[in-house]
This record gives sequence, structure tokens and C-alpha cells, in this order.
Amino acid sequence: MSQRFQITRAAELESLQMFRDFIAECCAHHNIPNEIVFELKLAVDEACTNIIQHGYKGMDPGSIVLAFRIEPDRILVQITDFGHAFEPASAPAPDLNAALEDRELGGLGLFLIYQTMDNIDYQASQDGNTLTFTKYYRP
Amino acid sequence: MFKYLRLRPEPDRRDPLANIPITQLVGDASLPVTLKALNSLPENPKLRLYRTLLPLQVLAAFDINPRTWQNPEKQIQVRLQADEGSEKVKISAWFGQNPENEFFYLELADNPYGGIDLNFLIASDPHSPKFNTDFDEQGRETLFGTVHRNRAEEERAMHAGLAPGQTRAGLRCSQIIFTHVETFLTLLAHHALTLEPMTYASAWIFERRGFAYARGHQLMDIIHREFQPGGALHKALDGSSPFRQPEQWQTVRGRAWAIHDGILETIERKWDNLKMIKQVGRQAGVNTCPNTLF
Repeated sequence: MSQRFQITRAAELESLQMFRDFIAECCAHHNIPNEIVFELKLAVDEACTNIIQHGYKGMDPGSIVLAFRIEPDRILVQITDFGHAFEPASAPAPDLNAALEDRELGGLGLFLIYQTMDNIDYQASQDGNTLTFTKYYRP
Repeated sequence: MFKYLRLRPEPDRRDPLANIPITQLVGDASLPVTLKALNSLPENPKLRLYRTLLPLQVLAAFDINPRTWQNPEKQIQVRLQADEGSEKVKISAWFGQNPENEFFYLELADNPYGGIDLNFLIASDPHSPKFNTDFDEQGRETLFGTVHRNRAEEERAMHAGLAPGQTRAGLRCSQIIFTHVETFLTLLAHHALTLEPMTYASAWIFERRGFAYARGHQLMDIIHREFQPGGALHKALDGSSPFRQPEQWQTVRGRAWAIHDGILETIERKWDNLKMIKQVGRQAGVNTCPNTLF
């Protein structure tokens, strides 16, 4: 038995809190462990921040559609936007050994998602860009 | 926050399938077919496919046979324009003898990215009073009030409950129409439909039909916020014109007329460059005007 949730908001920083609250609310109904909720919020926050700051750069911001499907042992997350596409494979890996003062700001978003989520996939087309990831958990 | 990841600018999305001939698509049902390819078909198969765009319920309401497009007097009531070489399809239906008396007009077009745009959709009640908002006092076409305006007629239309751009009351069948358009898109293996909402009121309707914003979601949020008491647009409803009356903030139509009248200049914005997208089979659930009546 799975349940689907969805929220669509403008791609602006003010929407991030709404996405966090939405995740917390969806997870609360299904007794998802707190650490899983925290990681989901972190991953969604990073992905949406990227869309806001880069995806809709130079455009009047459009929508971000955040969809969740909660299943007994996993949560599937789908984030769709209609801005510029990106190429995850061509992203440089962050140098985690570099001294803090030598590191550039940002660049950890995808790294964090890969570290915390499972089965990450990204599809870009003229119909929208969709980042999908799964988080397995033990109830 | 990601860095360096947004590498592909939008224009590169031009679909290599955009010019694929219809014959190459017979073998693979998952390949999207362009309207240009469809228009290259012989007349009869083309007609069979495009017939799906016209809602049966709408035709039935005007006694038009959905197969022959004739009325009971055997007069043709529907016109299809889908010429070979064209990237557009236009379908119009009218009531009575005069083809100019259209109650339905739909125009779809291929876009440069391999998708399909909805250029125009008109579904109006031919039995309702007509307002000449489409021509100004000098007889020039207003192009929905975008290049010229007929203020006297617009005022009459507004008081009759119409939204900007309308010449008659709507048929209230946009849900059925979009169901048919989505079915048609699925038949062509397309995944989405894009459009540019002409007015604030039409954007509101498209939101309810499941569209999200590729551009302009933030603008819609700003408009809603600034129409609230204390907001800049609320203050600009100062009675300085018939289209800027204080109570207009309360309805989508009232706001739409004020926006049509140029009230967004108050916040240094324009009603321009919005783009909406409907993913086939998916409701985006956008509502940028919560707790607001139409």
C-alpha cells in the first residue's frame, strides 16, 4: 500500500520552508523515523536550492513540483522543474580534503544527495526536468 | 547548493525529431509525432486523427454530428485547417449560417523544442450577448485588447461578468476540451502541452486544469500578495478608472481587469512572458490565488 503526496510552489527561496513542512507533515502520518525525515529534508532542500539558483537563472521563476510516494519500506521523491537542464555526470566532485578557505562556496548539493539517498536518477526533456531518488528505511 | 551543474541552455533542447517524416514513425509508437508530420498525411487519415480534438459534448450541444461535422440541415459547421507543410492545426466550429460566428476555436502548433503549444482556445456561448471588445471605436482589431482597446465595450463586458479578452460568456467546458487535447497528445506520444496565458483570469483557469508554470509562478504569487489589503496593487485600486475599483481585489476577474488596465506598472511589472505547462496525465495542483472567487 503506498500513498502519494504532491505540492507545487514557485521556485523561490521562500518556498523551501513550505517544502520542509510538507515533508514533515507527510512523514508524520506514516511514522517515518526522524533521521530519515532529516535526510529527506536535506536532499530536497539542496535539489530545490539548485533549481532556484541555477535552473531558473535569468528567467521569471516558474514552478517546482515536489511529489512523494511513501511505501512500507521506502520513500520515492520526484522533483520536477521547467528551467534550464543540468548534467549531473559532468559536475565536478567536491574536494573534501581541501582546506575550508580553499574550497569554493557550494558544490556539495549533489554530493549530499548521493550520500544520503538511493537510486538517484535525472531526466531532462522539453517537458521538464525530473530528479528522482529513493530512500529506503526500516519502519 | 550545486555548482557548475546547469550547463545546457534552453535553446539546445531543439528536438532532433522535429522534422521526422510520418513514414519513419510508423514502426515506433513511442516516438512523438509533430503536427507538421501529421499534416503530411492524406486528407482522410488526417481528418480521422484531428476529429478527436473536438469534444463530443460540445458538438452535441449544437446539434453537430461528430463524424460528419454537419448540423441536421446537412450544413458543415466545423472547419479544419491543417495544410501540408504547416506546423499548425486550427479547428473552428460555429453556430448557424455564419462561419464568423465561432463558438469554438482551437489552434495548436509545433514549437522549436519538439513539443506542442496551445496558441489559442476560445469556447464561447453563441447565445450570450456579444461585446465588441475585439474592435475599437475606429473599427481596428484590438487583438484581445493588446494593441488597441474599446474601453466602453470592455466596461460593459466587465459588468456583464466577462473577463478581459472575452467577447461572449464562456461555454464552461475547458475541462472537457483539455481532456480531449491530452488524449490527442497521447495519441501523438507527446508528454506535455505549453501555452502563454493571455490574462490573469485565463492563468487561473489553466491552474485549475493542472498546469504548472515554466515562467511566471513567482509573478503570480507577487500579484496575489500585492492585491491583499495593505499591498501596492490593493492601494492602486483607487477608483481612478472603471477598471480600478476598490472591491476588485476580491475576485480573479476584478484583478484581471485591473491588470489588463496596466495596474502592474505600480509594482514595475508587466503581464508578459508567462509560460505554463501541462504534463499529460498529471495535475500540478497550483493555486496562486487561494481563497479568491473567480
